[in-house]
Amino acid sequence: MMLIHVNKYDTPECETLAETAKKSIRTPDSLGLDRCIQCGACTASCPAARFTDYSPRQLVKRVLENDRSVLEDESIWSCFYCYSCNLRCPRNNSPVTIVQVLRQMAINEGIGLERLAYFVEIGEYLAENGASKIPGPGVRNMERDLGESWIEFKRDLESIRAELGLKPRDIRDTGSEVRAILEGTGFFEREKWIRAGGRGNVSALSHSASPETVNRETASHETPQCGV
Amino acid sequence: MKPIENVPDRKLLLFKSCMVSQEYPGIESATGYAFDRLGVDYFVNEEQSCCTGIGHYTDLFEGLTTAAIAARNFAVARRCGYPNITCLCSTCYAVNKEACELLNTNAEVREKVNSIFREQGMDDLVYEKGDMDPRSNFYHAVEVLLSKVDLIRENKQLDFSGVKAAAHHACHYYKVKYQDVVGNPENPQLIDDIAAACGADMVRWYEDRTLTCGMGFSQLHLNRNTSLQVTKAKLDSLKNAGVELMLHMCPNCHIQYDRYQPVIEKEFGVEYDTVHMNIGQFVALALGADPYEVCGFQTHSVPLEGFLERIGAL
Amino acid sequence: MIVPPEKTAVFICHCSGNISEHVDIKAVKAALKAEGISVFDYEYLCSSPGQDLIKSKIEEKGLEKVVIGSCTPSKHGLLFKKCVREAGLNRAMLEIANLREQCAWVHPDTAEATEKAITLLRGKLKRLDRGEPLQDIKVDIFPRALVIGGGIAGITAALNLADNGVSTYLVEKDSSIGGQMAKIGKIFSPDKLAEECAMCSLSPLMNEVAAHPKITLLTRTEVEAVRGSAGKFKVMLRTRPGYVRDTCTACGRCNRVCPVLVENEFNCGHKDKKAISMRFSQSIPKTYSIDPDHCLQLNGVPCGKCAEACRTEAIDFGQQEEVLELNFGAIIAATGFKEYDASLKPQYGYGIFENVLTQMELARMLGINGPTKGKLARLSDTCNLDAGNSNPGNSTTDFSNAPTTDPSNAPTTDPSNSPTNAPINAPTNDFTPNSPESSSLKEKLSDPPVPGRIVMIQCVGSRDEKAGGIPYCSRYCCMAALKHASLIRKKYPDTEITICYIDMRAFGFYENYYRAVQEMGVSFVRGRPAEVIRKSDKSLIVRVEDTLNQKILELPADLVVLSAAMLPSTGTRVIAGVLNVSQDETGFIKERHSKLKPVDSSVDGIFVCGTAQGPKDITDTIAQAGLAAARARAFIADSPKVLEHELARINQLTCTRCGDCLSCPFDALSFSESGRVVVDPLVCTGCGYCTEICEKGAVQVAGFTKSQLKSEIEGVLEAGDLLGFVNSGISSLTCDNIGNSVLSYPSNVKLVKVSTCLVVDKELIMHAFRHGAASVLFVEDPPDNPRAEVIFPLALRHFEKLKEELGADGSRLHFKKAYVPNTKGLAGTFTSLAREGEMNGDMVR
Repeated sequence: MMLIHVNKYDTPECETLAETAKKSIRTPDSLGLDRCIQCGACTASCPAARFTDYSPRQLVKRVLENDRSVLEDESIWSCFYCYSCNLRCPRNNSPVTIVQVLRQMAINEGIGLERLAYFVEIGEYLAENGASKIPGPGVRNMERDLGESWIEFKRDLESIRAELGLKPRDIRDTGSEVRAILEGTGFFEREKWIRAGGRGNVSALSHSASPETVNRETASHETPQCGV
Repeated sequence: MKPIENVPDRKLLLFKSCMVSQEYPGIESATGYAFDRLGVDYFVNEEQSCCTGIGHYTDLFEGLTTAAIAARNFAVARRCGYPNITCLCSTCYAVNKEACELLNTNAEVREKVNSIFREQGMDDLVYEKGDMDPRSNFYHAVEVLLSKVDLIRENKQLDFSGVKAAAHHACHYYKVKYQDVVGNPENPQLIDDIAAACGADMVRWYEDRTLTCGMGFSQLHLNRNTSLQVTKAKLDSLKNAGVELMLHMCPNCHIQYDRYQPVIEKEFGVEYDTVHMNIGQFVALALGADPYEVCGFQTHSVPLEGFLERIGAL
Repeated sequence: MIVPPEKTAVFICHCSGNISEHVDIKAVKAALKAEGISVFDYEYLCSSPGQDLIKSKIEEKGLEKVVIGSCTPSKHGLLFKKCVREAGLNRAMLEIANLREQCAWVHPDTAEATEKAITLLRGKLKRLDRGEPLQDIKVDIFPRALVIGGGIAGITAALNLADNGVSTYLVEKDSSIGGQMAKIGKIFSPDKLAEECAMCSLSPLMNEVAAHPKITLLTRTEVEAVRGSAGKFKVMLRTRPGYVRDTCTACGRCNRVCPVLVENEFNCGHKDKKAISMRFSQSIPKTYSIDPDHCLQLNGVPCGKCAEACRTEAIDFGQQEEVLELNFGAIIAATGFKEYDASLKPQYGYGIFENVLTQMELARMLGINGPTKGKLARLSDTCNLDAGNSNPGNSTTDFSNAPTTDPSNAPTTDPSNSPTNAPINAPTNDFTPNSPESSSLKEKLSDPPVPGRIVMIQCVGSRDEKAGGIPYCSRYCCMAALKHASLIRKKYPDTEITICYIDMRAFGFYENYYRAVQEMGVSFVRGRPAEVIRKSDKSLIVRVEDTLNQKILELPADLVVLSAAMLPSTGTRVIAGVLNVSQDETGFIKERHSKLKPVDSSVDGIFVCGTAQGPKDITDTIAQAGLAAARARAFIADSPKVLEHELARINQLTCTRCGDCLSCPFDALSFSESGRVVVDPLVCTGCGYCTEICEKGAVQVAGFTKSQLKSEIEGVLEAGDLLGFVNSGISSLTCDNIGNSVLSYPSNVKLVKVSTCLVVDKELIMHAFRHGAASVLFVEDPPDNPRAEVIFPLALRHFEKLKEELGADGSRLHFKKAYVPNTKGLAGTFTSLAREGEMNGDMVR
């Protein structure tokens, strides 16, 4: 089961991984993927490579070799999206944008969705309020990490904002436009796919089903391993 | 390279940042305070939505959604007559700039986005090629502050002489659209130049100068240990360089260093004397702003009281 | 020049069936004979019997004009011209109709091909009526050569020219010849696997230059302007004063008493030179000279110590600059390279961390006449120029010595440490005698420790698509790094050296040397380093991935050496402008053909060699300089030169001397001293731009006059034809190639060769329309050689202007760029335009 239609601009269907990467709107038009000389400037510059097994250079090599098993490799989820490789590559290649495409391809195939489940409520929050927030599981982790002072600050946020001359809550006057956009791009179908863990045919899900009917609570409680 | 002379001080849409609003609202109020005193013409528009950055870089949103949300914000900016989108957050800056480039160069995506707008009856959001220019309509607040560095120097009420400070130039400011950075992208020094104008003694070539903050969007949440190791590496190198004040330009980095410094201290058994603030807060402070009523330092996790007292701000 | 029909004859070649199998030669003969013309045919006109036939008929019948119907004139045109000349005819009295590539081979139908052959021959016959005898234009080449640049390339070229008997001037902007090679200390030998003294190889050549009777050496001299053209360049040379007369014996007394210490460009900016100095001790000419920017006396501060010390009264503070204007037949540009400014890559710390240096700086350090007298040392141990240390009053800390964008106010700024200056490159504007730096330099030099670990970084600036980088490989750097590694390992066996590379490029026999250096225990890491980091204890670390074992390494280094890219020198960029020769996108002088004409510039008579042409090492430079000398000598020896192409000619009777034609894009036209407009035969390309401008029709391109073209058009055209005016260069070749490629197009396509389409005016096009042309097509050469780069845009503009002027008929005028490989495309254009013309013609009829 695959989720392609929502995501065709990020992951255009092509013969090879390299073609998909080059045609994706996530990567720059001038992407120097084919010109990679495996010099390792990316890996030497990479914070993830310094502290984990991730190697942008090897990732690029596997993409050029059309090794589709790279989509199942855990290491693609280690990139920080810091773009150091993008800045350093002497061939104008951009491993950081290629790995974004690979993650999207993985998502299409139902890989890594448990990671996305952690953040999935951001979509509905954005539709409702026009803003993003740290997702529920993240808030709980931060409460545990940062303790009472942060919890207290978050409680006092409104009064602090007022004191600073700012409007009470960070909710924007977007009308229903943001929700309409998310509906139009097919985001909510994608959201269902993520919440369902890639199980079931998304296209077959009823369009009339409002996002609320999906079990949002379960999703936010299914906190994945957070590496603590 | 973006010449500093080209940075405008008129018709700036001060782009609201979700993380600024929810974690460090003082960054917005302090930047506004500084802009007011530096004669910058800006506007905050509540109709503007989130850039989708958090969702985009946690892989939740695909590119089409991000582009469509950006196109809507561009329409908001143009409609209110403040088309120069000026960001407090480096990710908003990168996301908007990239989306603009995509909408200008990719007719298929542009048409798709416009057809969504039309289908949903939002014809006034339709984006035509060239409505915004990725090079001349997008700025980071730090660029605007740097363009006013002489005024800041002339009007500073507080002198930071003797303060050993270092900058953390945000990755999404200088590593994403590296061709369009003020100065050499391998050596950004916007924050250094502003802080130096206020007397601070800038430590430029500390060991992990170019290292990312470690937040890494999903990394802080899903690979917490690695994320904090990266943050710790940079804090260690600043400690070795004797840096007491670290200056930021992005709320995500700010969260990572300010909120998590005490966590790292506890978990790794280390101690740091470094305090954190955004360059907007720093400039406001220099121009005489109240540390709490304008800069909002009460929302910080690493207490600034000792530092503020020492420099005479309290 | 109209002659009676019996004095004209047509010769048709069968080309062994190539023509005769498609063209009914009998029918052609019959048709022309009916018009009173003698026609002869032969199986191979290009063979000796064929040529004998032509010659004997000319003599026998007293022929005055000849048309040959054969293969393309670009194949045997010169042969046939020679043939008729031997029979006593002027070359203009011969016309060649292309019956093979543009007739027999492209029109499979015999009737059509035959009909077309008749029209082509008729066109040439009519054209001949308008032909006037043409004189050969010969040009004297001035028998003297100029070599610009006194590095190893210029020295080699000058010696080769002089040894071949050519009187040669060698000009050099510095006070001595020797160039970069004099700086580098040692050169490597791939056969002996050893490093030899560069100066020991170079110095004898420099002495030879000084002693050679055929060489005039001008140092402190720059080329200011060049006028004229190939064979007769007028060159203006400006020589700066050295304030020292030739009586100087180079005893050095002046140097010892001079109180001013200045920055030494020869030692990469090290402050170890006096205001009166020689560039280096083996300088040629062996004369001291004064640096006017720093000499006290010349800057109004009474001193004159050097003059007092001099025993030959050689010091002359009143010396003036000199300007010379000389003629040269040929010029060789040998203006060399400069090292890439590594501070453009701040991630490697050059200009920020004092122990980061370039290979050239390392070469100076290893040179016994260098700043450390050949001793390997860390710059932090030898000189105290790090801003953080040298300016204790500065609020900058040890970590914060880099520049900011606002030098006037920001305390992080120290002008002596701007990114464009290496740390050892501290500018000196002061005249302070015996400045504290010099004493501390001496003091610190006494016994610095030998650096234990050196890391070299390859491809700094090279093979780099990012802003500030250059895309090409600089060719010299791999071997320079190996050479320095070898030198250091031999002298300091305990010093560890690591070379970080992307690809080691040790081509040819250089591999032997690479192998030898590997065996010396030098380490190689395959990876492009991310950055150079200075730890808080000031030690340097190079962070790199060893891509062969996937390990990220943090290599500690006492010295980091950057193999910086090779860029064209400032002199190369300047001289390219002065000489008006083509450059590549980086600024190197572009050779005419990368394989076949590697030293010819875009301008006839101007040659290029060494690193002015592109990055290369000494070996390649010397080989190329020899070729440049041979080419320049051949150019000069070929005097007087007979010009092969036709030129613009001025009819002085109708010329009003208005000067409009002086806007020639090649500057070939000028007023003579007597006020006439004259054509410089060496510059004129015969493009015909002037014929378009001259309202009086006083200027025409010989062989392509309006009356000749009109007559040919009348001869070839039939109603409904497509008339193509074809540039006689690449475009003609492409038209011929359609035939060679066994492609076809309709036989109502008639092609007329022109020097360029610029000679075709509105009247000619109207003439063609009146004589039946359904449409007219311009076929032009694409702008991919220096001449066509100028002509193509002019031709396109000319076409657009004509199209507009033609009004409704403008739609019948077309334009096509002809690339040699694109024969199919051109044949397709012919076909579709011819069909379109037929249809329109039918409608008109």
